Amino acid sequence: MLRVDDLTVRQPATGRTLLSGVSFEVAPGESVAIVGESGSGKSLTVRALLGLLPGGLESHGQVVIDGQRVDDDPRARRRQRGGTVSLLMQDPFTLLNPLRKAGRQIADGLPSGADPKAEVPRLLAEVGLPAEVAERYPFQLSGGMRQRVGLAAALAAAPRVLVADEPTTALDATTQREVLALIRRVQRERDMTFLLITHDLRLAFSMCDRIMVMYAGRVMEVGRAAELREEQHHPYTRALLAAEPPADRRLAVIPSVPGSVPAHDAVADRCGFADRCAHAVAACRVGVPELRSIGAAGVPEARPLDGGRLSACVRAEELPVAPAPPLGVAATPRGAAEPILDIRDLRKTYPGASRPALAGVSLSVAPGEIVAVVGESGSGKTTLARCVTGLERPDSGTVLLDGGDCSDYTRMTRQAVRRARRTAQMIFQDPYSTLNPARTVGATLKEALAADGRPPDVGALLDLVGLDPALAALRPANLSGGERQRVAIARAVAGEPRLLVCDEPVSALDVSVQAQVLTLLAGLRERLSMGMLFITHDLAVVRQLADRLYVLRAGECLESGPVQRVLDAPDHPYTRKLLDSVPDGSSAWPGQSSE
Amino acid sequence: MGWAGFLLRRFAGTAAVVLLLSVGVFLLLYLAPGSIQQTLLGTRPATAETIAAIQARHHLNDPVALQYLRWFGDVLRGDLGTSIRTGMPVSDMLGQRLPLTLALVGYGTLLAALAGIPLGVLGALRRGRVTDRLVVTAGVVGLSAPPFAVGLLLLVVFALWLGWFPVYGTGQGAGDQLWHLTLPAAALALGAVGLLIRFGRAALVREMEQDYVVFARARGLSGPLVLGYAMRNSLVPILTAAGLVVTGMLAGTVLVEVTFALPGLGSLLVDSVTFKDVPVVQALALLLTVLISGVNLLVDIGYSIIDPRVRLGRSVS
Amino acid sequence: MSRRVPVGVSVSLAVLAAVAVAAAFAPWLVPGATAQDLMTGISGPGPGHPLGTDDLGRDVLQLLVAGARTAVPGALAVAAGSMLIGNLIGLAAGYFGGWVDTLAMRWADLMFSLPALLVAIVVAGVLGGGYGPAIGVLVVLFAPTDTRVVRGAVLEQRHRPYIEAALLKNLSSWRIMTRHIWPNIASVALASAFLNFAYALVSLSSLSFLGLGVPAGSPDWGRTLADNRTQLLANPWAVVAPGLAIIATAAALNIVGDWLHERVDRRGRTR
Repeated sequence: MLRVDDLTVRQPATGRTLLSGVSFEVAPGESVAIVGESGSGKSLTVRALLGLLPGGLESHGQVVIDGQRVDDDPRARRRQRGGTVSLLMQDPFTLLNPLRKAGRQIADGLPSGADPKAEVPRLLAEVGLPAEVAERYPFQLSGGMRQRVGLAAALAAAPRVLVADEPTTALDATTQREVLALIRRVQRERDMTFLLITHDLRLAFSMCDRIMVMYAGRVMEVGRAAELREEQHHPYTRALLAAEPPADRRLAVIPSVPGSVPAHDAVADRCGFADRCAHAVAACRVGVPELRSIGAAGVPEARPLDGGRLSACVRAEELPVAPAPPLGVAATPRGAAEPILDIRDLRKTYPGASRPALAGVSLSVAPGEIVAVVGESGSGKTTLARCVTGLERPDSGTVLLDGGDCSDYTRMTRQAVRRARRTAQMIFQDPYSTLNPARTVGATLKEALAADGRPPDVGALLDLVGLDPALAALRPANLSGGERQRVAIARAVAGEPRLLVCDEPVSALDVSVQAQVLTLLAGLRERLSMGMLFITHDLAVVRQLADRLYVLRAGECLESGPVQRVLDAPDHPYTRKLLDSVPDGSSAWPGQSSE
Repeated sequence: MGWAGFLLRRFAGTAAVVLLLSVGVFLLLYLAPGSIQQTLLGTRPATAETIAAIQARHHLNDPVALQYLRWFGDVLRGDLGTSIRTGMPVSDMLGQRLPLTLALVGYGTLLAALAGIPLGVLGALRRGRVTDRLVVTAGVVGLSAPPFAVGLLLLVVFALWLGWFPVYGTGQGAGDQLWHLTLPAAALALGAVGLLIRFGRAALVREMEQDYVVFARARGLSGPLVLGYAMRNSLVPILTAAGLVVTGMLAGTVLVEVTFALPGLGSLLVDSVTFKDVPVVQALALLLTVLISGVNLLVDIGYSIIDPRVRLGRSVS
Repeated sequence: MSRRVPVGVSVSLAVLAAVAVAAAFAPWLVPGATAQDLMTGISGPGPGHPLGTDDLGRDVLQLLVAGARTAVPGALAVAAGSMLIGNLIGLAAGYFGGWVDTLAMRWADLMFSLPALLVAIVVAGVLGGGYGPAIGVLVVLFAPTDTRVVRGAVLEQRHRPYIEAALLKNLSSWRIMTRHIWPNIASVALASAFLNFAYALVSLSSLSFLGLGVPAGSPDWGRTLADNRTQLLANPWAVVAPGLAIIATAAALNIVGDWLHERVDRRGRTR
């Protein structure tokens, strides 16, 4: 149904190559996932496949869709869009034309001659939406509903191939599960060929028949989902799988991969993963390893592209058997002490909001304790973090930091504010805006040390967060996401605060980097005996890091307790629902679509 | 927020701005040095009696607030005062000259829209290519050129060297008048063309890169339909530009009328300002304020027609 | 970060350099520019006068060079003055928000509904005094452009984590505004100042054209153009040359300003 041969994407203006040598096939009715971290080239691959590359990029290589070669024929491509291939995109908030009613946008894609009055409600029903949604503007719909409208619009011309580019990454976990279940149901009912782009290997195992793993603009490994789940023939796939922590048990050590994803051109002459690979030998660096067939027992296999196991590792056959999944360990219990943070009945309603962001939340953090606050968007978890550090002012309730009342920073004396600032610091989600782009790392850290009344030893501070002191001379633009987040952590702990508020600090990072940052935070907690308030949506991260957790929904705390107790035997149905929303890699997930 | 409430609020805002500016207009001229008295005296000897007579006739000894209220009350009743320079009622003078200025601005706006919007779209669709670069350069030059310089260049080229258009005058009969107004309107339009190209092209380029456009193309929507999506969404900045275009034209008409020696409001303003003919300047300033505020009001209402988010509020169900 | 400078921008920079040299060194380059020669009167291009002479017998080319000195400093003062005011108010409005922001934006809206040139005409004409008050009026009326641009840029930065982290380090508002926010929006502010510069140049020459700017006889571009417009037939160059000088300088300023702005946009995208 789809065949791509030796695809290359380049940016002529800068002479950069973003991906090269990508070849694959998808059979009719088959579902294939392309899995990779940021910079792997997975999205560009499908954009090139569809002829929809962003401006300034050009692709080379053969693309055959439905038996027709289209890479040199823009008109054939245009004819095929909609009826033969259709694309569902990532962000439900930008996917739809904001000025046009949902129904009309769906109707725009109907084949000529179809009756919108009959077809639009039918399509809406198929994606589990009531017919009156047709009369709504996108801004009147929630993210999940918009993504369903997007799916209905993508299906309007009855495509035979559906390409979905991270269709649920921007959605909450529970919504993600519903939308994925819906997509899979629709795909099976319509018997569509399905190409899924995702960064989540377990999600890919659950959704698709075959998996293609990409890294730094190249294909690393291809195989059937069931086989790949059992055994990986490329160290990168293994590392990727291992770095995604499990939600059902706590690991003694989170396996992390050193370094970060390189640019395609930086590894043009060798295996892209060699520099981060524990198994790398000299042969890995003397040329780009070819993607070749691997038999079930590691014997080369003579089958072509489709269906077989392929790996681009020169040592694919000699890789040691993957170690058994590590066993869980019990979290070390923390002794109860006078809390460093004590929140009582905190309430906050934003002006113009229909319901409170925080509707009476109480919580405490002991010195050296990591307390997780878990919730989906709109749960109030970020508002809570911002109230603790004084970035928002609560309407009522108290925030006690180390015994001092910090409920309203505007009413505190200068000394009290300074004391509070030195007690509690914060790190943020987005690694790209967490550092001032105009200042060097050294200037940022020196200022932080001075503000906290410490000697200006930037080198020691960088060392503390595991960074090379030479980075001090660089600006954030020259750092990777993981490095930036480490600098941000260094800035926060410069004055050895007793409480660190972490607002989703790893959710914007690649999995292989996420593990490094989690390990760093766990280590800092021990070395500085620092308490942490850890805001997250990710139960797997909670399991690995936290001692206790609070589950928030719509500004209310539904459940709290030690991590092991709550995650092993949740009391509240919502906590159970959250746990069920974590992809487990089995083919039973995401389950039946509720509609 | 209903439509009626929305309109009412906008109207009230506009009225407040006009009121505020009328105070400014009045005060500015009240504070003018050389005083009206001096102007009114002209060459007559400054005897105590003549000064007293002038002061009494123009209420120059009353408190400022009272003078303002009297002036504004008269304005509301349609009495704009008497010109010091010509002795004619100001409203008559404005009435005589308004049609020419309106025709000039209208003609100019039409030319600007006919040239600027298609060029902006063309530039956006041919982004980065030679056509686009030509369009952008033309836009910048248009934006940078003061109407009087453009007007004189047009005169030199089209009237003097090529002889296609008349050099001066307003012409007789509708067709001939239009003929005479073409060069002035073109001079007036050039800056607006530049503005429309800049705003229109930038907005369309931005919209064409949005996800919803890529998604629309990916699901096989036809080219014109996709362009329609993007155009509709780029209307908001284009509307902003349209507001600036009309205000810019009202200012530019002063220069164009002087350049082409046309008897419109603009040349009247320059003559009156030079002569310190205070009642006329006050009336003109007030008229322009009302016109510009009116245009801004229309632009505001236009936003709410284009964008349902303005009209229906932002609440997510 | 050595990116190639587009041709249009290089040409514009060259134009601006030439104008700057003329403005700075006019008294030495063309000491006799304003010397009248009523015997010659107006004449077309000829030997010794490449662009001919104007109605007072002055050499048009020399007037052009001398005119830069009159045209540029006033416009520069307007751009710099409104940049200073606009940046201070814009920073405060974007950073503090609340009533400071409301007040600043109402003020900017009000100023925006005034056509700057018309106000300048009325002020320069009725108040007399010409150039000085006109420059003052333009500074006040142009500042809102900078205010809006700067405020918008500040709002974009205001809730970024790096600003909030600085807040949590207990740094003063002044330090955060000047050391943290401003360097990140400086190029936007500068681009806006360039656009104002161009517009001020055009507005001031318009005033001169109407006889409300520089005193009669000064070698100003707008003034020269106005003085000779009744003599189009005798020497069109006396009108065309100063007109082109105004257009070229303003266009060059606009092109450089746009280029600065685009570079910022691009940097924002490649994060």
